[in-house]
Amino acid sequence: MPESWAIETTELRKSYGSTEVLRGLNLQVSRGSIHGFLGKNGAGKTTTIKTLLGMTHASGEARVLGLGAGDPTAGVEIRRRTGFVSEDKDLLDYMTIDQIVRFTASFYPRWRSDLQQHYLQAFELPVERKVKALSRGMRTKLALMLAFCRGAELLILDEPTSGLDPAMIEEVLQSIVRHVSREELTVFFSSHLIAEVEQIADHVTIIDRGRTVIAGALDDLRERYCRVQLVFDGEAPHPVFRANGIVRVNRQGRVLSVLAAGDRDAVLEEARALGPASVDVMPVNLKEIFLETVTSEE
Amino acid sequence: MLWYKTWLETRLRFLVGLAVLLCSAAGVVLQYPRVVELLGQMPAVSLGGEIGRRVQEAVEHSRHYRSYVWSQGFRQNLAQMGTLFAVVLGTGVFFHFSRGAALYTLSLPVSRSRLLGVRAATGLAQWLAMALLPSLLIAVLSPTVGQSFGLVDALAHGLCLFFAGAVFFSLTVLLSTLFAVVWRPLLLALLAAVVLSIPDQVGAGWSRYSLSGLMSGEAFFRTGRMPWLGLFAAASLSAALLYGAARNFARRDF
Repeated sequence: MPESWAIETTELRKSYGSTEVLRGLNLQVSRGSIHGFLGKNGAGKTTTIKTLLGMTHASGEARVLGLGAGDPTAGVEIRRRTGFVSEDKDLLDYMTIDQIVRFTASFYPRWRSDLQQHYLQAFELPVERKVKALSRGMRTKLALMLAFCRGAELLILDEPTSGLDPAMIEEVLQSIVRHVSREELTVFFSSHLIAEVEQIADHVTIIDRGRTVIAGALDDLRERYCRVQLVFDGEAPHPVFRANGIVRVNRQGRVLSVLAAGDRDAVLEEARALGPASVDVMPVNLKEIFLETVTSEE
Repeated sequence: MLWYKTWLETRLRFLVGLAVLLCSAAGVVLQYPRVVELLGQMPAVSLGGEIGRRVQEAVEHSRHYRSYVWSQGFRQNLAQMGTLFAVVLGTGVFFHFSRGAALYTLSLPVSRSRLLGVRAATGLAQWLAMALLPSLLIAVLSPTVGQSFGLVDALAHGLCLFFAGAVFFSLTVLLSTLFAVVWRPLLLALLAAVVLSIPDQVGAGWSRYSLSGLMSGEAFFRTGRMPWLGLFAAASLSAALLYGAARNFARRDF
């Protein structure tokens, strides 16, 4: 595995009973990136994350920070170098904030006491309060703080903003960005909220039904994908495009809309050959890419 | 700190169990003067069959303080309630995993075998305290009713209680790794305890070889010798059950 990958999976497969959750998932997360992991609910995001952290066993290969996630001994080392926030913000409810901070710190030789003080203050966390008495927002902040202070090289965040109001989502996202800008680390975070991925990620992987459907740098994806819109004088035809990289073709009355990735010129050449009244090439955002790729798999 | 976490999670059930067993042990001792008084007023009756034998045996045991303590304390109250609390302690091992804290604990740089090891060791230490302290309390309280019960005897019975109860504790830990819900391991382990006590009910001769017989320290009571073979067998069985639990826990998906 190249040293540049913080996470790499090859043909990862996992089934629960007869349900195949991961169907040969291939994933590469480069070191130092903020990598968004997008997928619909039930696409396999959480199972992938649990596999990376050794909480779930899957076939295929998963390597985190160069170590095999399936090996129990390596798993301990992976977790020592990784900060994790679960989707439900699972914490030890019966402890106070002070107790859970001291408890967690005891497992991490590189625990950052300076960050602990900083985040306790910045997040206004009441140290004597029991974890079970915290609001959803405070709980998320505490979970983030506990992950940030581990001195980790990699942060794995599973739906970090789930269940939060828009103001709190913004606050949490900003705190992640600020933390990453100060520390040298890789962030791998799952979400089904495209806007937040677009806001902070520089790389993205979109999965659908346990398989990677799109992966790459966000800027490259925006550059590579475009929508070619053809308007005809009469009914739009039913063309069969031969050009590479056609993701989806939608036909509605006089309008033919083509989502293309890759060889834009070849697509345009074919499109013009259909004799449309007008041809427009438009940029697409991540939401469009996500919706078109995920639905085209149906 | 893992020990501290485990203590926080299990202390309530431990302290409640210990308090109940201590009260029970104290009750056995403090009731003795009243039992002696009632014995004097009891008419001579002769009942046949197993029930008659048991009634007769209970009356006979009550005439001597040492046998009364063994019969009422170690064979009945402490053995029965001890089994219950050993099972409850075993259930507690995974109670918090099923309450949503699993992912946080599993995200820590700790191996699953260490997680289980700390849980099991804490549970066994608590069970040891629950087995020994009430037994020793009997020895300490006995002079208050004008009787005596040797500390060594109390210690011997406490150890028998511990080793036999550890089997139920370990069985519950193993069952807890098989079932996500809390009540199922509890019920299955209690059912196993009931089934294993059947030889004891069949006849007097069998009880010496049963787990409940080992738990009450019947062999020590009757012969004055520690049932080392039985204790070794119980310890081995507990170790095997905990090993199975560790293997199961290592394979489990969360």
